[in-house]
Amino acid sequence: MFDQDFVAILPEIFLINASIILLMYGVFCRSRFIIRNIAWLGLLSIIVTLLLHVNNVCTTANLFYNNLILDNFTFYCKMFLLLSTASVILMCLDYFKQENVYAFESIILILFSTCSMLLMISAYDLITMYLAIELQSLCFYVIAASQRNSEFSTEAGLKYFLLGAFSSGILLFGCSLLYGFTGVTNYEELAKIMLSFSSSNTPGMLAVAILFIAVGFLFKITAVPFHMWAPDVYEGSPTYVTAFFSIAPKIAILANMLRIFVFSLYDPTWQQLFFFSSAASMIVGALAAMSQNKIKRLLAYSSIGHIGYICIGFCCGTLEGIASLLIALFIYICMTINVFAAILSLRKNTFKYIGDLGGLSRTNPVLAITLAITMFSYAGIPPLAGFCSKFYLFFAALGSGLGLLAFIGVVTSVISCFYYIRFVKIMYFDTAWILFEPMDREKSLILGITLLLILFFFLYPSPLFLITHQMALRLCF
Amino acid sequence: MVLSLSYLILLPLLGSVLLLVLPDSNIRLIKRVGLSISLITFVYSLLFWICFDNSCTKFQFVEQIPWLSFSNINFYYGIDGISLLFLILTTFLVPSCLLVGWSSISKYQREYFVAFLVLEAFMLAVFCMLDVLLFFVFFESVLIPMFIIIGVWGSRQRKIRAAYQFFLYTLFGSVFMLLAILFIYFQTGTTDVQILYSTEWSTRRQILLFIAFFASFAVKIPMVPVHIWLPEAHVEAPTAGSVILAGILLKLGTYGLLRFSMPMFPEATAYFTPFIYTLSVIAIIYTSLTTLRQIDLKKIIAYSSVAHMNFVTIGMFSLNVQGIEGSILLMLSHGLVSSALFLCVGALYDRHHTRLVKYYGGLCSTMPIFSLIFLFFTLGNMSLPGTSSFVGEFLILVGAFQSNTSIATLAAIGMVLGAAYSIWLYNRVVFGNWKHIHNFTDLNRRELCLIAPFVIGVLWMGIYPEIFLDCMHSSVNNLISMTTK
Repeated sequence: MFDQDFVAILPEIFLINASIILLMYGVFCRSRFIIRNIAWLGLLSIIVTLLLHVNNVCTTANLFYNNLILDNFTFYCKMFLLLSTASVILMCLDYFKQENVYAFESIILILFSTCSMLLMISAYDLITMYLAIELQSLCFYVIAASQRNSEFSTEAGLKYFLLGAFSSGILLFGCSLLYGFTGVTNYEELAKIMLSFSSSNTPGMLAVAILFIAVGFLFKITAVPFHMWAPDVYEGSPTYVTAFFSIAPKIAILANMLRIFVFSLYDPTWQQLFFFSSAASMIVGALAAMSQNKIKRLLAYSSIGHIGYICIGFCCGTLEGIASLLIALFIYICMTINVFAAILSLRKNTFKYIGDLGGLSRTNPVLAITLAITMFSYAGIPPLAGFCSKFYLFFAALGSGLGLLAFIGVVTSVISCFYYIRFVKIMYFDTAWILFEPMDREKSLILGITLLLILFFFLYPSPLFLITHQMALRLCF
Repeated sequence: MVLSLSYLILLPLLGSVLLLVLPDSNIRLIKRVGLSISLITFVYSLLFWICFDNSCTKFQFVEQIPWLSFSNINFYYGIDGISLLFLILTTFLVPSCLLVGWSSISKYQREYFVAFLVLEAFMLAVFCMLDVLLFFVFFESVLIPMFIIIGVWGSRQRKIRAAYQFFLYTLFGSVFMLLAILFIYFQTGTTDVQILYSTEWSTRRQILLFIAFFASFAVKIPMVPVHIWLPEAHVEAPTAGSVILAGILLKLGTYGLLRFSMPMFPEATAYFTPFIYTLSVIAIIYTSLTTLRQIDLKKIIAYSSVAHMNFVTIGMFSLNVQGIEGSILLMLSHGLVSSALFLCVGALYDRHHTRLVKYYGGLCSTMPIFSLIFLFFTLGNMSLPGTSSFVGEFLILVGAFQSNTSIATLAAIGMVLGAAYSIWLYNRVVFGNWKHIHNFTDLNRRELCLIAPFVIGVLWMGIYPEIFLDCMHSSVNNLISMTTK
């Protein structure tokens, strides 16, 4: 009876098998330089997974006794996740060679966590969701600490593990409260039960359960009251791991959050929570990044700020809100891939501070202009892609009566401009400091593609708007 | 259809792409191609003027290109008598900017040309756009090239501060306009200006929306409490940057008021008229007096720009034909006169590498041609009859007298003060004894060719303004009928 189901999850099955085969290949083939080989094969398997996913015959289904779901929403989210994972692997290929990283397991772990994120996107049950999150987090704890000879990396791994395990515990407690109160774990059943309460008489226990689940998720997406680990982990982990952390899990966890909060637990309780955390994230992201000197810490705070913007869409809970969230997410991911590709290509062991970018416009003018444009786009200056995401988010916020949030967003986006254009200032007006080596072909490919997207998204944005609208529709109805 | 505004906007944009792919070694070729593209754009924009139908109140050369067509936001552009002349002014000024940097810019030459062409495309788009949201997009996008122009080719270390100030001031003003636009879009479901013209808002909303729009435009104009960025940006910008800043970017704010705020929110316009009059009069008198104690040549001209732009707002809000036409004419004339003054200062700076007034003196015996031209534009700046500014200021005063006599009287004081600082500046720089002057070269042929069109424009507009007024009559009348309904 599971025939159809196994066909439907063929991409996941393939990815799991491919990673196991790669693991065995790595174990049996003892060479010091196996990692690039494995990375290329891993990239290949991601691409094959993507192809399998796109050509999947089964696009809309509930699988395995309603434990997993496939629909339009998961289709695009997974596609996007696979694309961003592929680009992360592509951009760290050169890093392995230059930095003498021999631990091929990190690639395998990236593949495993990708697989878990695929499952997370299509999770349709509290248990599936939790298991998928845990698989992903476990992989992440390991790769955060993968550089064993660096104190920063081990410390980052430890911090990430402690706080991640803590947040998972909170999430799990929320799930068990929910189960204990309602007796179901399936999203669809939960949605039916939630329907029976009107917005005013949500029982207190249920609100507590929702609160715990929301807090667990906010931990995972580094929203503000629970963001403490992000800057340390981002700074300590090896750069390619930071890139992966700040790109891939955001898609998966936000997709899952949308599914659980908008579809099954639609309730005003969490809206206030997200309202607060969104406003706080924007403010902290804008103000705290101002005083950062290290580039990865700054990007961590900037990603906190962007999560704040993205959460604006979440607070609305309307169709536009969800669509704007997805648009902002996609554009944010695109810009972040670009930034990390640029930073990874500035490879020098000493490269840590923003000031080290000084005079980049003279030593590497093309990279300088790329980074400058991405920073302007992060800041939301028209006509770059970042503007499109912000304007639609603010529109959605005004549309659902969250004028205050839109106002805070607007003010913080001006404040955050200050440190984004500091990059431009340092690259263009300061004197040269470090001479970087030229980047490899893979990274320049990624940089080129994402830069084109950032620059010319404005000219023809309707496909993304249509797709996200479809996804939002699928989620709400 | 050969005459299409999209070609006009795309021409400099494609030109800048072409410049990017030209070989690096041949900088002369890059310069020539850049200049010819900007000249072609200028000639092409003149065709629009020739084919323009003066008697038509509607927008002409209208085009619509879908953008987010399902959300009712489209690239929708067209021009009327008000925007037509700004288009011409833009395309006219950009070739001069490129020529200014012909030999004085020594680093990043290719990028210089690219930045100006991209800037030109954005500015042309601003003046054509008939969709509020996309107007905002291009209104803001000017920031990026301008930030780079001030920062990269500016002269001193202080330029970074100036670039920051320019960027953050403008952005901070504009984001409230973005919120207002989103609110409008949320309420009406469209951002098409022509539909919004006929939308009725309650007075309360009009007032709020007007304030939000004004916050953005006031920074750009600049009105008095938020004008500090302008002298800084002007002083630190390269000559061509100042020309564009004074020539076009200051007009974006007043153009925005004219195109969006006034016809869309007529009641709020009436409500805020005394407020704006007061601000403008304060600005005129205050900045004219400030000019008297400045020691930097560019700052003096920058402050006089503030005074002139506030004259423009007085004219606009008098809401009669003379006032508005005068204000448009003054904008155009200021675009010529103060740009030319900045060109003159740039020529001085290239020779002596200082802008402080106290190091200059006795230029009339070392640079006679320059002194003559500088005199001409100084007189233009204080609006001597026969120059273009006179027509503009005269019409503005006529218009203002009809609506508010005391304001007009106070504004007229500004003319006296304007004469005071212009003449005093000229005296200090050109007459008297030689001071620290080691360089005796007068204007060269390139600089003369550069300035000559400005002279012609100023005289033409001053002696025979009919041709400029003709094409705006019907549009201005239409605007007034919308604003005073």
